[in-house]
Amino acid sequence: MGVVVKKVELGWLDRTYVWPVLKGMGITFNHFIKQLFTPTSKRYTIQYPDMKKEMPTGYRGLHELKRFEDGAIKCVACFMCAEACPARCISIEAEEFSDLNFTQGFEEKRPKVFKIDMLRCIYCGMCEEACPKDAIWLRNDYEVAAYDRLSMQFGKWDLMNTYAEADGKARISEDPTPSVPRRVLAM
Amino acid sequence: MDTLASLLHTSPALAWMVVKVVIVFSAVMLLASVWTWVERRGSAMIQDRIGPNRAALFGRIRIIGLAQLLADGIKFFFKEDLEPHDVNKRLFWLAPFLAFVPAMLGFAVIPFGRDFVSGGHVYHLSVLDPGNGMGMLYPMAIGGLAVYGVLVAAWSSNNKWAILGGMRASAAMVSYEIGMSLAVVSIFMTTGGYDPAQIIAAQGSQPWHWNVVPQFLGFIVFFTCVFAETNRLPFDFAEGESEIVAGFNTEYGSMKFSLLALAEYAHMMTASALVVTLFFGGWQVPFVAHPGVMLSVLSFLVKLLFFAWVFVWIRWTLPRFRYDQMMHLGWKAMLPLSMVNLVVHAWLMSHGR
Ligand code: SF4
Ligand code: SF4
Repeated sequence: MGVVVKKVELGWLDRTYVWPVLKGMGITFNHFIKQLFTPTSKRYTIQYPDMKKEMPTGYRGLHELKRFEDGAIKCVACFMCAEACPARCISIEAEEFSDLNFTQGFEEKRPKVFKIDMLRCIYCGMCEEACPKDAIWLRNDYEVAAYDRLSMQFGKWDLMNTYAEADGKARISEDPTPSVPRRVLAM
Repeated sequence: MDTLASLLHTSPALAWMVVKVVIVFSAVMLLASVWTWVERRGSAMIQDRIGPNRAALFGRIRIIGLAQLLADGIKFFFKEDLEPHDVNKRLFWLAPFLAFVPAMLGFAVIPFGRDFVSGGHVYHLSVLDPGNGMGMLYPMAIGGLAVYGVLVAAWSSNNKWAILGGMRASAAMVSYEIGMSLAVVSIFMTTGGYDPAQIIAAQGSQPWHWNVVPQFLGFIVFFTCVFAETNRLPFDFAEGESEIVAGFNTEYGSMKFSLLALAEYAHMMTASALVVTLFFGGWQVPFVAHPGVMLSVLSFLVKLLFFAWVFVWIRWTLPRFRYDQMMHLGWKAMLPLSMVNLVVHAWLMSHGR
């Protein structure tokens, strides 16, 4: 299919080349003045270390493992996230705990080790989608960098505390209830 | 001045000469290097960016990024001075100086302020005193030498992209030189002399008597050609990131590169000084018939910096021409226009106007 290209007819003023140049210079000068008198906070450029970008809700940044009010982890170590993760970067080891195990006869499960390899994570948010307990969230922190590979292996306590300061919560480093050894009961 | 001369056991004339040379060349050097920063900041502002603003003295004093100059200078100075294989070593070393020296030399005849009398001596504020017999022909001739800097740099690098850039640039410079010279000739005619002091004196202090007004066509031609001469956009054929890598300075690094870059800016300063002298009354202050020395220097400086800014401004307004378009413009538009300008003024003069 042929396309008819319309040739722009230039007037004599435009063909002198001087007038269009002046017009162009007017445009650039406008931009110059506008940019010069725009305060730094209103410019398009975000001066990164001094200013930070506000991430929109729904941004998939650094993970947080959610906790209950008493500080117990919400995760029940169901391995759904590890299963869903396309990058295979979540590794979980489960453990049992309960206050109730002797009275009611069952234990609950929680992760003993919950590790995400942030170097392999692609921040796809599949873990968040998969989690039946809403225990893992991807939130708006995008400054995930470190000096060595080892410190990019985020463990359970790192993940529980990633947003502690931003949310005004206390940092925690141990579970409120101790784990129980697997019961070997003579039934 | 006399006390300085007697302290140094020289004649006042000699001491004044030395002082002038130091002042002029350090000022041009300083302005040229400051202008690298102005260009970067200015272009950023024009494109709604911010530009280099983070370099700071001792990591603290930021002065809107002016420390960038120092940082760049130090960085270039301490970079490894690489010399690629198979370059023509002697020319490779010579080229940055060949580019830089003519750019600076052109400034020598340009008066940057009023003459003044002190202790019975007349002091001229230009490195070469007026009446030296070279006048404005000298910066024109020196400007022609600038081709060598680019071409030698391109040739000696033994790089195909570089030589392409060098050839294009030298072709541009050579073809625009004629139009430029003819535009200047008509000024020589109307002034009746080619000494810059004479040209400035003839223009007087009324802005509508400056050469731009009666010779507007000449001004347009001259200004356009000056862009080609200094290798600035829209005619910067020595470079061309999208076509020929970096152009004539592809193989250059460290201090040699910075010298080439500085040469461009020094050239720009000299070119805007020429424009100011020829068309905008040099150091004349508008509406002040007999300005003080300081005022005249200030006026010259303001005009100079304005035109240097126009260089930057135009660079970030216009895209680069295509090579054939530029040749077309040079030979088929600029040359005839400057000839028309010349003939019209000759005709006007012959009819006693
Ligand atoms: S965001 Fe994606 S890649 Fe990262 S841990 Fe979750 S599922 Fe795996
Ligand atoms: S984070 Fe959610 S999906 Fe992953 S193991 Fe815990 S409860 Fe299951």
